Amino acid sequence: MTYPATQPDAGRTGTAALAGQSRRYVGLRKFLDDPLNAISVGLVVLLLLLAILAPIISPYPPDELMPADQWQAPSLKHWMGTDEHGRDVLSRVLHGGRVSLFVGIVTVALAMAAGVAAGAVAGYRGGLVDEIIMRLMDILMSIPGVVLALAIVGMLGPSLGNLITALAVYRIAQFARVTRGSVLSVMARDYISACRAVGMGPVRTMLLHVLPNCIGPIIVLATVLLGNVILTEATLSFLGMGIQPPQASWGVMIAGGNEYLMFAPWISVAPGALLMVTMVAFNLLGDGLRDHFDPRSRSVL
Amino acid sequence: MGINFIARRLLLAIPTLLGVAIMVFVLGFLSPGDPALTALGMTSEGNTSFDAAQLEQTRHKLGLDQPGYARFAFWLGGALTGDLGRSYVQPYQVSDLIGRAMPVTLALITATMLVAIAIGIPLGIVSAVFQGRAADYLARIIAILGVSTPTFWLGLILLLLFAYTFPIFPINGSFESDGPKVLVLPVLAIATHPAALIARMMRASMLEVLGEDYIRTAFAKGLPAFRVVMRHALRNAISPVVTVVGLQFGNLIGAAVAIEYIFALPGLGTLMVQSIYAKDLLVIQGVALVISMVFIAANLVVDLLYTALDPRLGS
Repeated sequence: MTYPATQPDAGRTGTAALAGQSRRYVGLRKFLDDPLNAISVGLVVLLLLLAILAPIISPYPPDELMPADQWQAPSLKHWMGTDEHGRDVLSRVLHGGRVSLFVGIVTVALAMAAGVAAGAVAGYRGGLVDEIIMRLMDILMSIPGVVLALAIVGMLGPSLGNLITALAVYRIAQFARVTRGSVLSVMARDYISACRAVGMGPVRTMLLHVLPNCIGPIIVLATVLLGNVILTEATLSFLGMGIQPPQASWGVMIAGGNEYLMFAPWISVAPGALLMVTMVAFNLLGDGLRDHFDPRSRSVL
Repeated sequence: MGINFIARRLLLAIPTLLGVAIMVFVLGFLSPGDPALTALGMTSEGNTSFDAAQLEQTRHKLGLDQPGYARFAFWLGGALTGDLGRSYVQPYQVSDLIGRAMPVTLALITATMLVAIAIGIPLGIVSAVFQGRAADYLARIIAILGVSTPTFWLGLILLLLFAYTFPIFPINGSFESDGPKVLVLPVLAIATHPAALIARMMRASMLEVLGEDYIRTAFAKGLPAFRVVMRHALRNAISPVVTVVGLQFGNLIGAAVAIEYIFALPGLGTLMVQSIYAKDLLVIQGVALVISMVFIAANLVVDLLYTALDPRLGS
């Protein structure tokens, strides 16, 4: 059964869309009014720009070997110094950021797609399906994230695909749990009963009415996990189980500088500092978004 | 909270652990390369210093000529009795290797947790009591930096500062030669993150409790502020913090992996990384399984503690 798209109904939809848009705009303005949120958004945009523009703004190619410039301390010529092969640390940090953000975004997108789907089905169907899905998620979450990722990459080999899989698996469960919780709370609302009453199918109800109302916690989780995935990738790469040298990634660079820490600390310090700024940006943004979507938790941080 | 609740949680842990065992085994099964070659000390195919018969014999000895399900059954059966097989590379039982590494990791994590609590709880309380004042902002900045600092990088920085530049602590120390001193830098490196999380949770929870009527009553009765906060408010504000502490356990094991490696501490993390480099599959599987068991047990304890601390959640 479908309900007829009468004239007044179409008109109402139009106004609603308009109101929704301006509400969203006002919401964004309000969000950016908080200086901490503005700082975090600014930092994230800056990091994304640096990653996208890395090939253009890097002073040197990231892999160019300049043996004559080996071990240069930070100077005007090499802002972050050079490493044991005379490679420019700044250029490698910029290119490394590209890799880290790419891995982070792809991983979180995959985990979100799978986790939201699993959580939505579990929450919507309930019963045995719910039980089976959530027990599977329990299993994924029963090994600490880093250890699970290490086990996967360690046993299957450190290819980019395996790395992203390893990083995504644990987060699928996190997305599934959060989505299921939100879906359950939305499902109890009257407007969902109304959808059922007018004969709307489960997929349509889910996509148009349930999930859009669960989006807040999912976005907050995605933001926090983006920072978290980048950190885990760096940890794995540092241990030699992630991105493989000579490819630049922050973890690889920190590991590479580890040996020369005593007399050329900048090789490890520079990528680590960028990693830390990235973590601050995503953690602040996550906190801000959490307050924005759930004002009751405003006191956290 | 009755015995039923505990029993139900314990029963639920069994299928979870079984699932973990299957997952870990399948990963090992899918691992490229032949463990028999590893056992023979060969890392690449095409090495001709052994003959096919020798390889076949090794395969048979290790049970690698059996089908996957039979190998799994054998491995799981062993695991149930505490026998995780024999290392392909080292002349030891996997359980012995784990048994030797476990105390190091547990000591590291326990010390870290104590330090994190000792820093995080006072920081959170100060932050909440002086909400909106300088001390609060300072505490919150420390907390956000603490949450965002990459543990393994902090470890390196601490090593650079306090072992190389100012040689206060040993660089490659061991328990035998340097005593508990070797733990100081690793613990500081790992404790930063949980300390910051605890501070944030303590602040949020304390702010909530301080807004309640009975606290106003306590103040109205003229009780000293210190006593109201420490005796009346803290008691109710502490239970979410206990959860955070418990849930940090898993993260700490993860953080410990890289830190043990940096500081050359012979714990589970170092064992795991070394085994991955050596392609010593049974050790990797064993370590992952044991870490998972510890993790599940820790989460169980957290749940029980949480309900015990806050009887309102008992049902």
